[in-house]
Amino acid sequence: MILSYLSLTNFRNYGRLEVNFSPGMTLLYGPNAQGKTNILESIYYLATTRSPQASADYQIINWEAMEADDQIVVGRIVAQVQLPEGPRHIEMRLIQEKVRGSMRFRREALLDRRKVRLMDLLGNLRVVLFLPSDVEMIGGPPATRRRYIDILLCQVDPTYCRTLSTYNKVLEQRNAALRQHLETGRGRDVIRILTDDLVQKGAVIIQSRAKYMRHLARVAQRIHYESLTDGRETLRLAYLPRLQGNGLSQSTGDEMSGEMQQLSEKVDWLAGQSDYSPVEEWFSKVVQSQEARDLSSGVTTVGPHRDDWRFWINGRQLAHYGSRGQQRSAMLAFKLAEIEFMREITGDFPILLLDDVVAELDKSRRALLLSFIQERTQAFLTSTDSSMFPSTFLRSTKIFVVKKGRLEEETNQSIKHVEEVEDKTQI
Amino acid sequence: MSVLPRSIQQLINEFSRLPGIGPKSASRLAFFLLRGADPNQAVDLANALVALKENTRFCSICHNITEDDPCVICTNEERDSTLMCVVEEPLDLVAIERSRAFKGRYHVLHGSISPVEGIGPDDLTIESLVKRIDAGEYSEVIIATNATLEGDTTARYLERRLASFGLKLSSLARGLAVGSDLEYTDEVTLSRALQGRQEL
Ligand SMILES: Nc1ncnc2c1ncn2[C@@H]1O[C@H](COP(=O)(O)OP(=O)(O)O)[C@@H](O)[C@H]1O
Ligand SMILES: [Mg+2]
Ligand SMILES: [Zn+2]
Repeated sequence: MILSYLSLTNFRNYGRLEVNFSPGMTLLYGPNAQGKTNILESIYYLATTRSPQASADYQIINWEAMEADDQIVVGRIVAQVQLPEGPRHIEMRLIQEKVRGSMRFRREALLDRRKVRLMDLLGNLRVVLFLPSDVEMIGGPPATRRRYIDILLCQVDPTYCRTLSTYNKVLEQRNAALRQHLETGRGRDVIRILTDDLVQKGAVIIQSRAKYMRHLARVAQRIHYESLTDGRETLRLAYLPRLQGNGLSQSTGDEMSGEMQQLSEKVDWLAGQSDYSPVEEWFSKVVQSQEARDLSSGVTTVGPHRDDWRFWINGRQLAHYGSRGQQRSAMLAFKLAEIEFMREITGDFPILLLDDVVAELDKSRRALLLSFIQERTQAFLTSTDSSMFPSTFLRSTKIFVVKKGRLEEETNQSIKHVEEVEDKTQI
Repeated sequence: MSVLPRSIQQLINEFSRLPGIGPKSASRLAFFLLRGADPNQAVDLANALVALKENTRFCSICHNITEDDPCVICTNEERDSTLMCVVEEPLDLVAIERSRAFKGRYHVLHGSISPVEGIGPDDLTIESLVKRIDAGEYSEVIIATNATLEGDTTARYLERRLASFGLKLSSLARGLAVGSDLEYTDEVTLSRALQGRQEL
């Protein structure tokens, strides 16, 4: 797929922007705080309906427009996307409205100019976003990894996305019912109904995660082994569903414990199943065994909302034992695997968004990344410094200078300048 | 202090308390009534508002809104009293009546089970439904709750609650879009959904 046109209105520091893009590489460069990342964010937002940093949605609307104190302020992201089946017009509106003195925020989604549910935007524009901070996910809290994988899977599987949304509603209802039971001692019958729902929807989530994670893990392992470590290191990704009362014993968390190994094998087996009944049975048993605990704590203690997934290298957990360099390589392998994964599932390459990542990589990883994306479809890269790109790369790249919320297409002259600089540095 | 006469300010305040109406539209409505071309309009509106509360109540049998208790549906001898349709809201009943595909009795729950909003089975008219079925001669109950998570939870609760009566329990055929309100479903779809109802 190709993003051929983007228009922003009152989005971050863009009051108004209209720009045409071409296939292949696009470099956005300029000093800091000019709006490079904001462009990538707008594309990501349209693709996933979420902000990469999970910041509050209304903060995305242009501040100046908000300060004008109008009754209603509308931020707008519009894109024209070329899909194999034809062009598509995608629009998201962020609306901040004054209702009886207080501000209310809502969003509207439009597909080919017709209003649709937000969820219906997913899959029309698919992206993989590279951030320097990606690597922090490896040692970060499970919630960050869950959010990450959910956003990825929602882009390729609409059923997963719908089911996840329903699961979250059921979970919220069940937790509320548990709290009320704690206070009043009533409502066991309603809890039972919601538990059935939880198991049914949760099983779809668990099974899908198992299947997709296994797929991702295989691709990531191959790229990591062949292209990043010359066959010296074996990367392993393991999906760890929360299907046990106390979670996995994390005492040392270095080598894969027997318990973890067992879980991982069972998950592998699940991933190969064609229907949901084995997962349902498993999840149902676990929920039942935890019922007393749920009732006394007033929250649902097991289920996909507590899942996790982790990285291992040569049998040791990357979060605890990996060097910074090993973590970076693993993350790079994972991100490249994401691209392949999306293509294998959907039949089409996603659009790549790379924010300041090239500067973070050493020479060989940089070369690998650039060659990998150059062979693929469309990519948007940001940088404060165009001299870190090889001139062969720049020659085939469209360049925009970003300055105070404006984009200006760069002519050949500046590329020449870059080449000169590069020549000097090589002496 | 407002410089507006108290009677206008009060009307503006009352209008702004209505859903979907802000201070601006409230003022516009108030001044429209004050200056309106039709001198009777304000009085007609006032009468309609008074009648709303004075003349309407909930039917003590089916809990629909009515002017006479019991309501015209509950007192209509021609309607099938072996067939019952359970709905969430009075407007759902109106929608089903409009489809003309149903000639039995109704029961209005006045909501659906939603722990998040603090609504449990006891907050709905479920006890009264159980009593009606126990005392009546019903052979089939159609559970026509909305196609939402809360509507489904309510349907399944009723299914369990009514299981011991040995009735035929059915739900609307789900030609209805998932997440949809009955109230906004067109007559044709609704009539088809009633005909194609499925046993629970
Ligand atoms: N809601 C907003 N309204 C206006 N400006 C914003 C908003 N959010 C962020 N900005 C501005 O955007 C700029 C940062 O843009 P960014 O794309 O992150 O810069 P960079 O070019 O370094 O990637 C900052 O100047 C920041 O003040
Ligand atoms: Mg930036
Ligand atoms: Zn009645």
